[in-house]
Amino acid sequence: MMDDPFGIAAGWVQEYLLIPLLYRLGLMSWEDIAFNWALFAVYGACQVAITFAVCLPLERWRPVERWPDSSAVWVDALYTVISRVGVLPLVTFVLFYRAQVAVNGALADHGWVPPTLERLFPLLLGQQVLTFLVYAAILDFADYWRHWLAHRFRWWWALHSLHHAQRQMTFWSDDRNHLLDDAIAFVWFGVIAVLIGVPPLQFPLLVLVLRFVESLSHANVRLSFGWFGDRLLISPRFHRAHHGIKAAGDRSCNYGAVLPWWDMLFRTADFGGEYVATGDPGGEEALATGSYWQQQWAGLRRFGRAFHKRSFS
Amino acid sequence: MRRITFGLLLCLCLSPASRAAGVVYVINSAGASISVVDMATQQEVRRIPVSREPHHLVLSPDGKSLLVGDTAGNEMLFLDPATGAIQKRMPVADPYQLGFSPDGKFLTVAGLARNQIDVYDAASMKLIKRFPVVSTPSHIAYSPDSAVAFVTLQDSDRLVAIDLRAMAVKWNEPVGKTPAGVLWLNGKVLVADMGTDYVAQVDPATGHVLTKIQTGKGAHNLFLSPDRKILWVNNRAGGTTAALDAGTLKVMRTYAIPGGPDDIDFAPDGKLWITRRWAAKVAVLDPATGSYQTVDVGRSPHGLYLNARAPAAVK
Repeated sequence: MMDDPFGIAAGWVQEYLLIPLLYRLGLMSWEDIAFNWALFAVYGACQVAITFAVCLPLERWRPVERWPDSSAVWVDALYTVISRVGVLPLVTFVLFYRAQVAVNGALADHGWVPPTLERLFPLLLGQQVLTFLVYAAILDFADYWRHWLAHRFRWWWALHSLHHAQRQMTFWSDDRNHLLDDAIAFVWFGVIAVLIGVPPLQFPLLVLVLRFVESLSHANVRLSFGWFGDRLLISPRFHRAHHGIKAAGDRSCNYGAVLPWWDMLFRTADFGGEYVATGDPGGEEALATGSYWQQQWAGLRRFGRAFHKRSFS
Repeated sequence: MRRITFGLLLCLCLSPASRAAGVVYVINSAGASISVVDMATQQEVRRIPVSREPHHLVLSPDGKSLLVGDTAGNEMLFLDPATGAIQKRMPVADPYQLGFSPDGKFLTVAGLARNQIDVYDAASMKLIKRFPVVSTPSHIAYSPDSAVAFVTLQDSDRLVAIDLRAMAVKWNEPVGKTPAGVLWLNGKVLVADMGTDYVAQVDPATGHVLTKIQTGKGAHNLFLSPDRKILWVNNRAGGTTAALDAGTLKVMRTYAIPGGPDDIDFAPDGKLWITRRWAAKVAVLDPATGSYQTVDVGRSPHGLYLNARAPAAVK
């Protein structure tokens, strides 16, 4: 009926790389999960390629800042590749799949079957695209609160500050997160999945657009979507205010990821026209310019210290 | 004029379209949909949207409903097997594999992701008993007298036998690496061990493996031809479909079906419709020649049901 390049690519990876490997390792029970991972990795590779193709020219065209040495950016690129293409999705599928099964099984034993939005709102039945968009809005709303709380709790900010430490913020910076921060986000969305089910994932282009908006919002580019557009989707200018030096920690604003509506609704939006400098003056240098593992270790140290210090730093 | 009319009618009767009229329903597990394929043209004519992740389907004992399990959607759909129209939806926890007992009294539902086997009263669709198992129950078979249900437990390399009269586990025995498809044949239980290249023949009384029959890498699922003469085995890792003599269990011929062959249904014209999971296609295999035609369907096609008596599918 229609071509499915993502499915074809994932099918090739599955048949010629993953299945022979799983068979050799005696892990054929993972074959369905492996295909889902292959799809995820193919989507991720496309996301990275498209984001790169669009954002890089934009950053060259109208950069907010120019840096003589931009080596810190390469670590962010590594975060992106790890997060979107391979390793993190693999770890997520392998480690968390079992936990998810155990939790869901225990809930089922107690009579709880996670509903879907379609069952809660039968008007959505058969309306797959609309259902996806409603899920996207709900998950964006949930992410707003997760993000807001990450700035409120000292221990959580200790982890999340790794994301804010970057002074050379680019479109690569979206995935620069501490592994524990990623794990918390997974649990956060896992709980929501138990409450409202999981969204349908057969719309790669829509997923791609949403992830693109998140990457673009971190780009080093003087770009806003205009008065109306900035209130419709999160622009680089809007999100830059969130990463501003003065806004680090619990003084921040603009917590939304894709939609600015939650910031507007809860009065945390700042539509000011400045393109501010980014970074977190309260964090140690390794969080900003260290290698991948130096950043992770520094985040962990700060996390440990957060339980002993009273001050917000 | 009359001769021309007669000639046209004769052509219609002899054409492949009329020999294999009807529809095939193909479950697209990663596409959250059911493809409706016109058997005559071998073209997908439409897709029925499903909530999340459907895998398998089964015809109700009265033939009036096609039950489709949507695992991640925790939902069972009831379809009209003639038209594909959705008759009703029912919340069910993780319905991965479904199977009615031969006497039509029980419906067994394997919840692969939740490590549970649910036995329902088929008439009322009321849950009779849930069996928590370790782990990943996948495929189901019954003894011909409907007394015992056999379910493979993929991750623990075991087969569990459930006594449906006592509603208790009869035995739970190791049967080989990653058991998937299971079938009752000639008084024995056959299990396709996906982590190996063989089908294990199991004693239904004890669960002990009697013999192992090599079929191909990643033996995944097995099906008996309508005339009960040929046992068909899909080998997932090898990308082959093996035809075995159902009496002797000797491999007669092996066909190359790349793309992860999975489920099979049989057409009245003798052809086999085989889902190819990773190719997003169904192979229509002519066993006589070994050649196959392909039908484009959705992503990760899994279970399929062929209704040759259904009227030609329309958009």
